[in-house]
Amino acid sequence: MKKRELRRADFITSVLLLAFSAWILIETFKMPAKDTYSGVQNVWYVSPALFPLIISIFIIILGTVLLVHSIQSDGASYFFSSISKRTKFASEKNIRFLSILLALFSLIYLNIPRIDFFISTALFLIFIISAFYFDEINLLKKLTLFYFIGSLIFIILFAFGISKILNSYYKYFIDILALVFYISYVIYNWIKVKNNHIYKKRLIVSLMASLAVPLILCPIFRYSFLIPLPKEGLIIQMMHNIYYFLKRVI
Amino acid sequence: MFIFGPLFIFFQQIFILITNPINILIFFGAVLLGIIFGAMPGLTATLGIALLATLTYGMDIGTSMVTLLAMYVGAIYGGSYGSILINIPGTAAAAATVLDGYPLACQGKAGKALGLTTTASAIGTFIGMLFLITITPFISAFALKFTSFEFFLLAFFGIIISGALGSTDLAYKGWIAGFLGLFLASVGRDQLQFYPRFTFGLDELDGGLEVVPVLIGAFGIPQIIQVLKDKVTCGEAKRFQRILPEFTEIIHHFPLIIRSALIGVGIGTIPGIGEDIAAWTAYAAAKNSSKHPERFGKGEIAGVISTETANNACIGGAIIPLLSLGIPGSPPAAMLLGALMLHGIQPGPMLNFDHPLFIFQCGAILLLASFAMWITGMLLCKQVIKVLRIPTPVFMPIVAVLCVIGSYSLGLGIFNLYLMVPVGILAYFLTEMEYPIAPLVIGVILGPMADANLRRALMVSKGSFLPIITRPVSLILVLVIILTVVNQTKWYKNLIRRISEKLFSKKKTKEISSNRFKK
Repeated sequence: MKKRELRRADFITSVLLLAFSAWILIETFKMPAKDTYSGVQNVWYVSPALFPLIISIFIIILGTVLLVHSIQSDGASYFFSSISKRTKFASEKNIRFLSILLALFSLIYLNIPRIDFFISTALFLIFIISAFYFDEINLLKKLTLFYFIGSLIFIILFAFGISKILNSYYKYFIDILALVFYISYVIYNWIKVKNNHIYKKRLIVSLMASLAVPLILCPIFRYSFLIPLPKEGLIIQMMHNIYYFLKRVI
Repeated sequence: MFIFGPLFIFFQQIFILITNPINILIFFGAVLLGIIFGAMPGLTATLGIALLATLTYGMDIGTSMVTLLAMYVGAIYGGSYGSILINIPGTAAAAATVLDGYPLACQGKAGKALGLTTTASAIGTFIGMLFLITITPFISAFALKFTSFEFFLLAFFGIIISGALGSTDLAYKGWIAGFLGLFLASVGRDQLQFYPRFTFGLDELDGGLEVVPVLIGAFGIPQIIQVLKDKVTCGEAKRFQRILPEFTEIIHHFPLIIRSALIGVGIGTIPGIGEDIAAWTAYAAAKNSSKHPERFGKGEIAGVISTETANNACIGGAIIPLLSLGIPGSPPAAMLLGALMLHGIQPGPMLNFDHPLFIFQCGAILLLASFAMWITGMLLCKQVIKVLRIPTPVFMPIVAVLCVIGSYSLGLGIFNLYLMVPVGILAYFLTEMEYPIAPLVIGVILGPMADANLRRALMVSKGSFLPIITRPVSLILVLVIILTVVNQTKWYKNLIRRISEKLFSKKKTKEISSNRFKK
C-alpha cells in the first residue's frame, strides 16, 4: 500500500477500532462486577469484566493515537476527498480478491457442511486453480460469474429446503447435482479455452489436481487418521464400499 | 560434576532418537517437507508447522516434536533456495539472503552459495541448540520465583516488545494487533468464574477460540490470498553443478558464523521477533565489520553465510523463552506452543518438573535435525528445486485445502472452519495495512495466562497494584515496558538526539580547545 492510502486506511481503521472498543465497553459493563454471579460475591478485581475492560481502554487509547496520526498526515482529508471522487472498484486486484473470497466462502459456509467432502474439495480446486492458472482477467471474470451462479443455485436449494425434498427421493441427490455442476464447469471452461493450446494444457492440469488432491487426502484422513470427514456422501460412501470390499478380499 | 548429569541425559536422548528407525525416517521426511515449504515462495515455516501440528495430534509427544522441529529447521533453511536461485525469498527469514545470494548465482556460483548456506545453517542450528540446553534450565529455575503479577507483565511485555520491533510502519500498530489478539483470547467462559464473555449465546464459543484454527487462519489464509491476488510467480531457477562446500571457506568465515549465530540466538530470545529480523541484523553486522563492505549486495559470500547462520540459530533462541516462560520467541515458535498445548504440555517454569527430560529431548532433536538438514540439503538439493517449477496458482489452492482439513480434523468441528476464515480475512487486511501478525498471535496464546494471572495476583494483594513496583522482577518488567513505549514517541527521540548532540558538541569543543592549548 502507498503511504497516502495507508494513512487513509489508518483513518478508517481507527474509527472502526474506536467503535469496536466502545462495543467491548458496553458488553463489559453487562458483566458481573460487584454483584453476585452463580452464588459468588464479586469484588471488582476478580470480575470477569476486568480483563476486557483493560483491553478496551488500551484499544481506545491506541485507536485515538492512530486517529490523530492519520488526521495529521492527511489520511482523513484523503478519505473524504476519495468519497466524492469515483474510484475504480473493478480493478484486476479487486476482482481476483473477490474470486478468492467466493471460492473460500462457498467451500466453508456452503459446500463442506452440506455436500460430500470429496466433491466440495474438487469443486473448490477446479474453480480456483483454473481461474487463476489461466492468468487472464476476462476469463477469470467469466469463470467467477459461472461459479457464482452455480453457488447461488445451491444457496436457493438449501435456503428454501428444496435440498431436503430432493434428498428424500434419493439420498445423494444434492451430491449428484454438485457433480453435475463440476462437470458443467469443466465443459464451460473447455469451451472458453478450446482454441488456446496453452490454456487447454492448464485446464487439464487443473482437472487432474482437483481430482488427485481429494483422492489422496480423503483416504489418508478417513482410513489412516480415522477422522470422519465433515460430510460423507456419494463419493466417500463409494470409497467406503471399495475400502471394505478390498479389506475383506485381502 | 553437575555438568555430567545433564550431558549424560542429553546423549541418552540422542541415543534413544537414533536407535528408532521410524524417528530417522521422520527426521529426513519432515526436514525434506520443511525444505520444500521453505523453498516455495508463499509457503512459510509457520504454515508448515501449523499444518503438521494437526497431523501429529494423534502421535506421542516425542514423535510429534521430532516432526515439528525437523520441519521448522528444514523450512528456515529451505528459504535460501528461492533467494539464491530465483531471486525470490522462499520465506521472510531468507529475505536478506537475496541481496548476495542471487548475484552469486548470476556469477555461476549458485552451487557454492548453496553449499555454504547449508553448512552455515547446520552450524547455526547447532549453536542455537547449545544455548537452548544450557540456558533454558536456568531461566526456568529463575522464573520459578515469578508470581502472578510477573506472569501477567510477561505476557504484556511479549506483546509490547513484539509489537514495537515487528512493526514496519507505526509501532502502535503492533500493539493494536496484540490487544486484538488479547480480545480474541477473552472470548469464551472466563477461567475463574466461568462467566460467558462475548459468546453471543453460541455453545461452540463457550470453551474459547481453538488456538490452532485461529493460527492456521492468521498465517495460512492471508498467505493464500496474497499469493493468488498479487500473482506471485517463480522465475527460472539458476543452474548449478556441485554444492559440496569448500571447508577452507567455512574455516575462513568461522568467526563470522559464530557472531551471526550469537546474533540469531539473541534476537530469537526476544518474544515474537523471529528469524527475518535475526537475518537482517546479522547481515548489517557482517557488512559493518567487513573489510570490504562495498562488495555486499554484489555477491559477497559473507553476506549469505551471515544471514543463513543467524536465521537458523534463531530457532534455538526462539525456543528458549517458549520452554522456560511459555512465551514464543518467533511466529513458528508460537505455532509450536499451540502444538504443545494440544498434547497437554504447558511450557513454562514448571516444565522442568512436569517433564524433566523435555528440554534435552528438544535439544537432541534440534541437533539431529541439523544433521538431517545438512545431509538432505547436500544430497537432494537438485531434486528439491524442481518443486519451484510448480506454478503458484496450482499449489496455493492445495495448501488451502490442507488448511481446511487440518483445522477441521483437530476438534472434528466445522465451527473451527467457520472461525478460521474470518480470522484469516481479518489477518489479511491487517497485513495489508502493515500490522504485524505475530503480536496478534501472541495475544491469542498468552491472553488466558494474562487474564487469570492478573486477577489471581489482585486477589492475593486484595486489589492493590502496589506489588508491581515493590517486586524487583515486576519493576524491571514495568520499566522495560515503559521504556519500550516511550522509545517510540517523538519527544523521547528528540530528547535523545538533543542530549547526544550536546555531548558530542561538548566533546568537540574540548578537542578544539585542547588542540589550541597544545599549539
